[in-house]
Amino acid sequence: MSSATAPPTAQAGGTGGQQSGVQEPTPARRRRVDGEWVRRNGVYLALLVLVVINVIITPHFVSEGSLRLQLVQVAPVVIVALGMAMVIGTEGIDLSVGAVMALSAALMPLYLGYGTVGAIVVGVGIGAVTGLVAGVLIAKVGVQPIVATLGIMIGGRGLAIVIGGSIKSIDDPGLVALGTGSFLTIPYTVLVALAAVLVVGFLVRRTTYGRQVVAIGGNRRASLLAGLPVSRVLITVYVVSGLLAAVAGVILAARSQASDPTKIGLLMELSAITAVVIGGTPLSGGSVRILGTVAGALVMQLITSTLISHNIPDSMAQMIQAAVVILAVYVQIGRKGARS
Amino acid sequence: MSQVTSTVKGDRQMNTNIRKRAVMGAATFATLAVLLTGCTNSGDDAAGSDDTASSSSSADEDSEQVVKDATEASGDGCTIDKYGVDKLDLKDAVVGFSQSEPDAAAFRAAETKSIQDEAKKVGVKKLIVTNANAELPKQISDIQDMLTQGVQVLIVAPVNSDGLDPALNAARDAGVPVLTIDRKLTNESCKDYVSFLGSDFYEQGKRAADAMNKATDGKANVAILLGASGNNVTDQRNAGFVDQVKAKYPDLKIVAQQTANFARDEGQSVTEQLLQSNPDINAIYAHNDEMGLGAETAIQSAGLKPGEDVKIVSIDGTKNAVQAIADGKYNAVIESNPRFGPLAFETLDKFYGGDAIPEDVIIEDREYDSSNAADGVAGAF
Repeated sequence: MSSATAPPTAQAGGTGGQQSGVQEPTPARRRRVDGEWVRRNGVYLALLVLVVINVIITPHFVSEGSLRLQLVQVAPVVIVALGMAMVIGTEGIDLSVGAVMALSAALMPLYLGYGTVGAIVVGVGIGAVTGLVAGVLIAKVGVQPIVATLGIMIGGRGLAIVIGGSIKSIDDPGLVALGTGSFLTIPYTVLVALAAVLVVGFLVRRTTYGRQVVAIGGNRRASLLAGLPVSRVLITVYVVSGLLAAVAGVILAARSQASDPTKIGLLMELSAITAVVIGGTPLSGGSVRILGTVAGALVMQLITSTLISHNIPDSMAQMIQAAVVILAVYVQIGRKGARS
Repeated sequence: MSQVTSTVKGDRQMNTNIRKRAVMGAATFATLAVLLTGCTNSGDDAAGSDDTASSSSSADEDSEQVVKDATEASGDGCTIDKYGVDKLDLKDAVVGFSQSEPDAAAFRAAETKSIQDEAKKVGVKKLIVTNANAELPKQISDIQDMLTQGVQVLIVAPVNSDGLDPALNAARDAGVPVLTIDRKLTNESCKDYVSFLGSDFYEQGKRAADAMNKATDGKANVAILLGASGNNVTDQRNAGFVDQVKAKYPDLKIVAQQTANFARDEGQSVTEQLLQSNPDINAIYAHNDEMGLGAETAIQSAGLKPGEDVKIVSIDGTKNAVQAIADGKYNAVIESNPRFGPLAFETLDKFYGGDAIPEDVIIEDREYDSSNAADGVAGAF
């Protein structure tokens, strides 16, 4: 990873160009360095551009209420995307997150008899279970991540509909408070997302486990030969992803004060993957970018928000979002191509 | 995507070329995405798509469907002679009902139950019910299976407006008349099927505009929560509302139209965004109850009073929405009645009695507002 260190903004153009003369024709070299810089920092730049645009053109954008709204709405995506970033870091993918959200949201209201906390524990617990199933299928049985998690995506949503039936209103005061309350003006849901960022960030950046995740994604064979506990790490990564998805399901249900197994978490896997990819984590594994992922989620949130605020028709909105995703993937592919 | 990858790997010098290709790829992808969305939605184009709801309660006797503007007298409807099947006594008949979508949705549950209840009431010999789980091939084989089981009459809630031809042909060959409900087929009536019973979604939109006018005293900034894009229910419920507002209510200003895909949580988040960026919005028209209920939560969390500060009108008639009207947090709901049983058997009875059945039997939907919601909750689905 450190082989391609990105120079800071100011130097990128100039020094990059000078160094390039040593090995390769100037234009190619400059482009590669620029591409690398864009890949690493493009998401922050995009976020900045979006904020500036909105400050200028969107009425009431600069306000406490607006800031709080964006953070509340992005919280579930951030939580899911963090787990997704770890999974993608191991060169895997988790398509089951949306269904796991539906499953936890469907289960939770049925266990309110054990109190709010008991219900939340059950709801979050189901994420660990599905994550364990996915992890074992992938690490022990050798099923490809996309296949294993696709199975859980389909079966999980079906199970959620069987368990939950039709949509249920949630009026438990504890859950309503979790969904709508706040501490020192910061909504609980945002605090949960913040906690998830800190915990996952710590895991990835400061622990041996985090190094193992990245090592396995970078080179599975070498990791095995080096004696890393590959299976164990892979299983736990999917458990973490399942847990986080279930937390997001609980939060979303608490926020909308309803649990709709057919609609909750629908297409969340795509939103999460998009946030991770835009955030600069390569789909080829070997790197996990936490802050980038958060910024990626915020970029998508702001795009959606801008399109709604300015009443852009849905068809146009879909194309704009698709274009952003493709641009992000293109930047990544450009980098990989330059390397090989 | 993979094409782009290999090109980049293959030739680094052709960067501009690649970029062009990538842009073209992006455009193709976006077009594809749009097309795909269109396709998925068109398979989903009727009352069934907007029917997630609170509970699956039974239909009340007093909420049966009423024919709205039957043109039976006109004589050019479909008669048993014209259709060319044998006479039949319903009391001694084997009837098949092919439901399109899973009964997890309240609309479908109420629809199926209504057919079952009415079959029992009429006293048919046997009713066979199948569910296609929203898959056209399954519906075709469902219908073919029922024909081999010897059904003599078919009631079909089509999965899709097109593509049911193999099943319809099989029914025709077996001399079994087909009555369709809630989603209209593009096939020829009185040839491929007898008649269509259903709601007029455009009319629902118009009535929603009337209800909105009443709730706001004719003056409001209205935001519309649209159903899924490319869905004819969405299109008609919207056109009816917009046309009526244009024609009759000049002071109802439509300031935003955003999709929330018939889902409650999307109704909530879209309404939050709309209220944040445009605090002048003081009325919401939602294409279904679920989005309207999401809007209710959003209005509350913005510190406003739903039903008062921001009025809500939607279409469906689910228990939760009607209850919300009774609680004073919601203003009006135009019903999309799922209880096709009584009307379906009545129509079949007339058909076998020699009457001419019009191509479209459009039923009248009820309407709930503060004056009747409390009494109406029990009858809502």
